[in-house]
Amino acid sequence: MGFEPKIIAFCCHWCAYAAADLAGAARMQYPHNVRIVRLMCSGMMHPEFVMDALSQGADGVMVLGCHLDECRYRDGNYRALDRSDMVVELLEDFGYEPERFNLTWVSSQEPDKFVKAVTEMTVRIKKLGPVNDVQG
Amino acid sequence: MTLCEVTDIAGRAGNFTVTVKEAPRYVDMGKCIGCGDCTEKCPKQVDSEYDAETGKRRAIYVKYLQAVPLKYQIDPEACIRLQNIGTCGACEEVCDAGAINFGDIEKIHRIDVGAVVLAPGFEVFDPTDSGVWGYGIFPNVITSLQFERYLSASGPTKGYLVRPSDSKAVKKVAFLQCVGSRDENLCGNGYCSSVCCMSAIKEAVIAKEHSPGLQTSIFYMDMRTHGKEFDQYMERARETSGVRFVRCRVNGVEKDGSRDDLRLSYINEEGLQVEEVYDMVVLSVGLQTPKHALKLAYNADIKLTGDNFAATSDFAPVQTSREGIFACGSFAGPKNISQSVTSGSAAAAAVSDLLAPARFELSADASFPDEKDVSADGPRIGVFLCHCGSNIAGVVDVEALGEYTATLPDVVYVEQNLFSCSQDSQDMIVERIQEQSLNRIVVAACSPRTHEPLFRKTLKTAGLNEYLVEMANIRNQNSWVHTADPEAATSKAKDLVRMAVARVTCSDSLKSISVPITQKGLVIGGGTAGMIAALNMAEQGFEVHLVEKTDILGGNALNLKHTWSGQHVPTEVAKLVDKVVWHEKIVVHREFEVTAAEGFVGNFKSTLTGRDGFKRTIEHGAGIIATGAEQYIPQEYNYESITRVVTSVQFDKLYELNEVHVRRAKNFVFIQCVGSREENNMYCSKVCCTHSVQSAIGLKKENPNRNVYILYRDMRTYGQREALYKQARKLGVIFINYELHGKPNVTENGLVINVEVWDHILHRPLKLEADMVILAIAIRPMSDASTLSKLYKVPLGGDGFFQEAHAKLRPVDFSVDGMFVAGLAHFPKSIEESVSQALAASARAVTLLSKREVFLDGITAIVDEQNCDGCALCVDVCPYNAITLVDRIADDPDAGKLIRVNQAQCKGCGICQGSCPKRGVYITGFTMEQISTQIRAALAA
Amino acid sequence: MLITKKIGSVMIVGGGVTGIQAALDLADSGFFVYLVEKSGAIGGAMSQLDKIFPTNDCSM
Repeated sequence: MGFEPKIIAFCCHWCAYAAADLAGAARMQYPHNVRIVRLMCSGMMHPEFVMDALSQGADGVMVLGCHLDECRYRDGNYRALDRSDMVVELLEDFGYEPERFNLTWVSSQEPDKFVKAVTEMTVRIKKLGPVNDVQG
Repeated sequence: MTLCEVTDIAGRAGNFTVTVKEAPRYVDMGKCIGCGDCTEKCPKQVDSEYDAETGKRRAIYVKYLQAVPLKYQIDPEACIRLQNIGTCGACEEVCDAGAINFGDIEKIHRIDVGAVVLAPGFEVFDPTDSGVWGYGIFPNVITSLQFERYLSASGPTKGYLVRPSDSKAVKKVAFLQCVGSRDENLCGNGYCSSVCCMSAIKEAVIAKEHSPGLQTSIFYMDMRTHGKEFDQYMERARETSGVRFVRCRVNGVEKDGSRDDLRLSYINEEGLQVEEVYDMVVLSVGLQTPKHALKLAYNADIKLTGDNFAATSDFAPVQTSREGIFACGSFAGPKNISQSVTSGSAAAAAVSDLLAPARFELSADASFPDEKDVSADGPRIGVFLCHCGSNIAGVVDVEALGEYTATLPDVVYVEQNLFSCSQDSQDMIVERIQEQSLNRIVVAACSPRTHEPLFRKTLKTAGLNEYLVEMANIRNQNSWVHTADPEAATSKAKDLVRMAVARVTCSDSLKSISVPITQKGLVIGGGTAGMIAALNMAEQGFEVHLVEKTDILGGNALNLKHTWSGQHVPTEVAKLVDKVVWHEKIVVHREFEVTAAEGFVGNFKSTLTGRDGFKRTIEHGAGIIATGAEQYIPQEYNYESITRVVTSVQFDKLYELNEVHVRRAKNFVFIQCVGSREENNMYCSKVCCTHSVQSAIGLKKENPNRNVYILYRDMRTYGQREALYKQARKLGVIFINYELHGKPNVTENGLVINVEVWDHILHRPLKLEADMVILAIAIRPMSDASTLSKLYKVPLGGDGFFQEAHAKLRPVDFSVDGMFVAGLAHFPKSIEESVSQALAASARAVTLLSKREVFLDGITAIVDEQNCDGCALCVDVCPYNAITLVDRIADDPDAGKLIRVNQAQCKGCGICQGSCPKRGVYITGFTMEQISTQIRAALAA
Repeated sequence: MLITKKIGSVMIVGGGVTGIQAALDLADSGFFVYLVEKSGAIGGAMSQLDKIFPTNDCSM
């Protein structure tokens, strides 16, 4: 068996999580490597979650939120965007490849985009290989 | 009630008996779980109405995948079995829920109601019979609705823009406007459908995003982008997206050679005949009242206009000719989405006014047993695994999943259900909770987005706190998307259940907090919108305070004579003022302004200051901003120096007074868009085209020998106002088009005024000699709007008008709960639209005022006083200004700072939690601990 | 004149975005609402549009 990465995807309840539901209703098929954690907003994502996930063996972490200017809570996704820069810096400091983190905007009506994002992420992580055992 | 039609309305306002005919669905709504297995097996395909005939559906189907209710239905015309008893029946065989019922029959319901609201909507004009522009003959000529389906990811081509005839990728597409609108010869629809210009631009822009390099051209007579931010959108489409706009009359669409390409011929602005070849031609089809709605109007016994829309008054835009029956949406004239939503709320306001005495008589609240306190008990988790027929069990090994689940910590009970969502399963879960003393529940089934409310209710019924349930989404996000890999799906299902179990272990009982409501309204602005809103609330029995800056009620309407449909404005306004002044529930504060405001939804406190400095404090539960707008004072066209160059508002006064210059004048020139649609004011003032046309008609009718010219950029006599434009042309009013770069030149020459403008038809400068020039001036936002904006923390948009919470779906709400907007304060609009908005704002306010208290979701931010160090990072990011920084110990600045959350303002988005470096604030139901535990569980295998 | 008691319920004919908005507002103000729709599901014409609504708020 080849390497099957584990990917944690933080999904906004209003957009990406709904898109994932819709992908199911449309019977779209995608890799089984993603485990979704539902948040109320991508702006709820704390950098600590990303670091936690990687240190516990996740090979990749995704954050999926609403398109900019379409946030349910006005500008939560802009906060997620700001924070993701911080996350990338943190990853580098801790010796993780920044490609292990991904931020994608998906509306509730775009199951195809959701499927594309998780498929591409899985391919990318498979190429990168398992997460390094870098501990602080 | 779906598949239902109204066949009769008997009785009168307050007491109607409505007869409703329900067509058979042939699917038991109580049993169907919306899995779609039946559709997969159904052998019969027919054109899909939802896809506007661009795609196919089966004989058993749902309109679309997100349909509400998500219950399948059988089309009896298409179904093989229903046409021939004893045949087919494939759906019945495959339906595990046993929902198919071929014996279903039509039902007749008689329902007693106090009022009826008609909102049957529109249909798009069907060009099939007329074959206009080759529709139905050339396969690549399609309607705008069909194009919309081609663009959609859920459409027939999954969003790839290919043409129907040969699936070739589309490179060049032409949009032809006004098909079935503004054209009495073709279909009798003389009116403008109002929405097609904007939707063509939107479709062109999105199509270009879908297929880079796509060339899009829009062929039009007038671009009518008169809504809020529409003109900016058009300019962006032209400048940034590269959409081409061609003002012309198209002569013909022909097939180009033997291929499926289309050759378009038209006369361009230089007067030359031009031919261009396109891959696809999209007809921007207009809106019309469908046959079933005409029948409904007949059954309801209400009057229609000549254009077949429900007849209403400008000052009561949702009231039909029959008392107690209301009309809204496009049934009462073509409308876009935000206008439709607004009119829906307006109809609610009108009904609420009529039926106010009977409020709360029939609405029932469900009652639940007292909640058991489980905080001291260790977790006892019950897990229910749903088969969803074969939807889950056909892929996931539920037996193995069950065995695995039983080994998880704190799980004391596991059961499998064929359908966890069925009513008997709910009863069973309640029983199990009681007999097994379960205090946490996990349901592994479908999506919490659709089914969490159901299971929360089940927990409440069992006496458990509703937040102690967690769903594992093993269908939509597992069995349906990993159908081909049962092993991986089973292992993922185990992960998902483990995550849910871990998360629910650290869930707490959450209480939804209630906030008392001051059942009083505040309306700021005493113009038409403000008075209408105040009256509507007052008529429903709520005390209203109406604040007016000046010493007179009436606002901008005091400058107007007639509405577009000819109603006399001064009479109507006088009636309104009279009602407002004498209403026992309305307190009018003339010459007062709001100078301070505090509080939040249900509990505002506003301070009014009078001209003499006197202060009053008003407590109110909701507020409506209806402060109106100002007139633009022109700097151009020598308005300052030439006395007979006047504004449209001044002209109306002079005309009414039969002033000597007006009386003697022979030549009148109207100049449109003065201060609108240019540079820093890229918006349309919306009412000026209709206003000038009305004035021109008046002048011509009075004396046909007068010469009346209207210099315009696009004539925007939208909707049923188009009839006025037509009448003006018939009376001999001359319309001359000019472009922004070729504005008219106005100079004084002795007794005459020279107006020079480029003539597009003769292609030379045209010199008009005018006795009077009338400038159609723009509507400007109030210069002091920013003061109110700051006081109530409600935003202003780029144009300086107040910004609603959502342009389409929340058109009168502010993003601040409990505050609403109506009238010109929001954007330029006609009286009829201001009234509609004012009623809508009142309806929205009454949803609050009618309650004594408002219940807030239990998911909310809580401060951890141990951890919070008062760094205030969260204060800045909170989108609702719900967090404030306070002294840790009152009046002791040395003790440091602390944040405080106003839970009435908090929406539980968790942006604060995400930005807190100290774990000083958390969201109940989504605590750091809960999410971390879930992550850990996900990676534990 | 005979004063009959008014009934505290209302029927809304048409389950498009307009009818849904009217229904939500009335139900939220203490009236019992019957929402009558001709087809098999509510949502009306707006559900056919590709891009308009960023958040699918149309469900009840």
